[in-house]
Amino acid sequence: MAQVEQFKYDNAIVRKFAYATLVFGAVGILVGLLAALQLVFPALNFSTAETTYGRIRPLHTNAAIFAFVGNGIFMGVYYSLQRLLKTNMYSKFLNEFHFWGWQAIILSAAITLPLGLTSSHEYAELEWPIDIAIALVWVAFGVNMFGTILKRRENHLYVAIWFYIATWVTVTVLHIGNNLEIPVSMWKSYPVFAGVQDALIQWWYGHNAVAFFLTTPYLGLMYYFLPKAANRPVYSYKLSIIHFWALIFIYIWAGPHHLLYTSLPDWAQSLGTVFSIMLIAPSWGGMLNGLLTLRGAWDRVRQDPVLKFMVVAVTAYGMSTFEGPMLSIKSVNAISHFTDWTIGHVHIGTLGWNGFLTFGVLYWLIPQMFKTKLYSQKLANAHFWIGTLGILFYAIPLYWAGWTQSLMWKQFTPDGFLQYGNFLETVTQIVPMYALRALGGTLYVGGYFIMLYNIIKTIRAGSFQAYESAEAPARVATAGAHKGEYWHRWIERRPVQLLIGATIAILIGGMVEIFPMVMIGDQVPKIESVKPYTALELQGRDIYIREGCVGCHTQMVRPFRSETERYGPYSKSGEFIYDRPFLWGSKRTGPDLHRLGNKYPDSWHYNHMLDPESMSPGSIMPPYPWLIEDDLDNSLLPAKISVLRTLGTPYPEGYEEEAIADAQAQAEEIAASLRKDGIEGENLEGKEITALIAYLQRLGTDIKPKPQAGNE
Amino acid sequence: MKNKALKTLSVMLPLLLLSAVAWADAATEEGGSNPYFYDDFLAWSLVALAGTVVVAALVALFYLLNVMVKVNQIRIYQEMGIEAYQEAVTEKGPSFWERMYKKWTDAVPVEKEQDVMLDHNYDGIKELDNSLPPWWVAMFYLSIGFAVVYMTYYHFTDAGMSSAEEYELEMEQAEKAVQAYLATQANLIDETNVTPLVDETALAAGQTIYNNNCAACHGMLGEGGVGPNMTDKYWIHGGDIKDIFATVKYGVPEKGMISWKAQLSAADMHKVSSYILTLQGTDPPNAKEPQGELYEPQADNGGSEAPATDTTATTATDEEALGMNK
Repeated sequence: MAQVEQFKYDNAIVRKFAYATLVFGAVGILVGLLAALQLVFPALNFSTAETTYGRIRPLHTNAAIFAFVGNGIFMGVYYSLQRLLKTNMYSKFLNEFHFWGWQAIILSAAITLPLGLTSSHEYAELEWPIDIAIALVWVAFGVNMFGTILKRRENHLYVAIWFYIATWVTVTVLHIGNNLEIPVSMWKSYPVFAGVQDALIQWWYGHNAVAFFLTTPYLGLMYYFLPKAANRPVYSYKLSIIHFWALIFIYIWAGPHHLLYTSLPDWAQSLGTVFSIMLIAPSWGGMLNGLLTLRGAWDRVRQDPVLKFMVVAVTAYGMSTFEGPMLSIKSVNAISHFTDWTIGHVHIGTLGWNGFLTFGVLYWLIPQMFKTKLYSQKLANAHFWIGTLGILFYAIPLYWAGWTQSLMWKQFTPDGFLQYGNFLETVTQIVPMYALRALGGTLYVGGYFIMLYNIIKTIRAGSFQAYESAEAPARVATAGAHKGEYWHRWIERRPVQLLIGATIAILIGGMVEIFPMVMIGDQVPKIESVKPYTALELQGRDIYIREGCVGCHTQMVRPFRSETERYGPYSKSGEFIYDRPFLWGSKRTGPDLHRLGNKYPDSWHYNHMLDPESMSPGSIMPPYPWLIEDDLDNSLLPAKISVLRTLGTPYPEGYEEEAIADAQAQAEEIAASLRKDGIEGENLEGKEITALIAYLQRLGTDIKPKPQAGNE
Repeated sequence: MKNKALKTLSVMLPLLLLSAVAWADAATEEGGSNPYFYDDFLAWSLVALAGTVVVAALVALFYLLNVMVKVNQIRIYQEMGIEAYQEAVTEKGPSFWERMYKKWTDAVPVEKEQDVMLDHNYDGIKELDNSLPPWWVAMFYLSIGFAVVYMTYYHFTDAGMSSAEEYELEMEQAEKAVQAYLATQANLIDETNVTPLVDETALAAGQTIYNNNCAACHGMLGEGGVGPNMTDKYWIHGGDIKDIFATVKYGVPEKGMISWKAQLSAADMHKVSSYILTLQGTDPPNAKEPQGELYEPQADNGGSEAPATDTTATTATDEEALGMNK
């Protein structure tokens, strides 16, 4: 019998992450509420660049995912890891480095995103210096976790830790893969891959950010905190094994379901569809193991707010992991994609699964660490009901809005015209739904602040124990297999093998999908007439990226009659080969812009950017007056041209030197056309607006629209 | 007896579904629109409604049958005496649903969970050795089967259509449907035969079309903006209803006026052209200076009822107008 050893659990680091979770949760949902209200009351964009929707939206998503959920993950991991392994953390220095490093990254995101410094990849918007910082801090977390695992006193790794390991390795791979970019300057870079390849890699990342940042670590937390809170044995060990391996293997393939009916080759789209369908069972495995663990404790679920939150969280997880595969079926996706349905869907996941599980954990953990009871069960119950109501008020109006708008987009008159030819009609129709959604968000925020109050009161009443004494027998390193044990026990004793196994499982899907797209040239058929952007267009494109236009406007006309009639010929993959990054977008709050070029006069764009309502009465698009006031900064142009040529854009040798003059010449042409239409203004040719107009007028004009049939 | 009824039901249901699908297919073909089901929402709703009614009827029948069987059993037991009844009851195992539930969940009951308790203990968390729920396993296999069939159908055989082929088909079917519809419509309006509409509903509809599509460039009141003023008597491309209709229909692309024939039906262009004529002489605030040539309506086409009250804005020369109007 091994000797019993004394040690201390480090609660101080857990408390730090818990406080960060509480603070950034409030920030994340408040910024989200602002974004929701901006869609109802465009005045809330405040006509200021930093507070405009296009920059606020990524701030909200990053705050919710990486600041709130991120800190939530670390809180839960640092608490449960020590206890599941019967040891303290590997390194106090790495604890602190990880904590402060992560908060510094959040702070830099909160500064750079409103400044418009963005790579425009959804949920990976941060520019390259911050990407490097994230990689460093993430590696520090990994080292700390593995160091802890290696010095464990427990022979076997519990299922929660399998999930933590898979999370760590996959996020590492995804983060690096999706942020391969070449810097132009300190705060500007271009991605290595362009167009359809960039899109595939982005959604391989984007989908798996959901999978391996919002799902697998939280499954790990569920496997620790739910049985602890319910004091019940986990329902099925076998189910844990099968659903863990199946989940991490299959999840990675499903990314292309974000690109159905786009220019991505059909074979890759189909893989996205079928792997999404195959994901239902592995996902539900987690839900079942969570819910069935509560067998024999359902009477307590009625009373204990911790369990209530957990039950709704796990149920929301089950609902959204069923809904997701349904939305991945192409005929459903044809209706749902680019509408608010998707927004409703992800919020069932984030508000329900991530939010409520975090709340459940906090309500359980804070009294544990502060050696006291929760200040008020009543308030926690109130939070539960208000929060649940908030989720319903959030999601249902958006489902309604998504359906309504999609049906309006697709409605034809019998004589072959779009019933709602003006896109704006389909937006004003759903603004009341946006208002209801904002109400749902307000409820959720209200519940959150009730929790904050309750937790602060609990903390005040308790006494925190930074280092909690514990004891456990030393691990007998030689302890091997015993007769009749389940085969999986073998790998549970071998963290390195488990890490390698998980790595192999998560690499296969990505490789099968991405390698052919990147390596085989004919996956993206070349179109002769597609030429690189001119210097001014490139500048305009970077302004488009900076302003986050992609948050509301897609550049992807899908092969549907309703889209080609509205916008023009459907988008071909060969048109995007110089698009670094791709700007296909994922949501149409405004119309698609891929065929915008030459549709309106230059002056229309000028007036529209200055005051959208002057050209489109009732529009909810925010105004962009600063584009008209601010001078265009061409100083980075030579560096941009040079970086893009390195990446393969065929700019002629020496174009760097001519680029600025070329841009000015084109700007003068546009300024002249603006003046012709009676637009006054000093130095029009030197303003940012001319670059943006140049880009918008270029969009989709490389291939000649075919004459359309059937409109006589 | 109960099982027999169930078997009947299990045969009936697929048949019912098949017929429903066939019906919906027929509906699609008649509508002749496109392969997406939402266009035949009504047809599908009817199918769903009919299906529900039939299923409800079957359930009711089944229930009735059950009651009759029970009544019959009571009669038999009354004849055979209490012993026979007790014997039957003790013989009778769990009900069909209980057996199904047991079979498909295969869970060890909570009371007996100590039998499957593993010796795992992680910070007090224990694990049970319950089997994988068979329904879950079945669902997993089904989804894998779906994946194989789907990939084979679309990518390893010629059976499935690619996105591009689906699009071609959709356009073809739409074209046919539109032509079929147009064949039923008499006397299409075009720029050779158009006359101004005067009834108020049509003009109100014209105003809506104008506000949605034209006001951006020509002003909410027709006062002009990026595009020319519509309220004065000066026209660049002619002020007759036929000219206006043609301008709307074909556009003047080199000057920024787009062609609307792909976005507005002939009837809509008719309405909006007629509405534009009613703006004559309304003299809105902030009106743009006149452009183009003076146009006086002919008596016979009734183009503009509004008398020429505004004589102040007649100073523009053609030269100026051309200069101002890109």
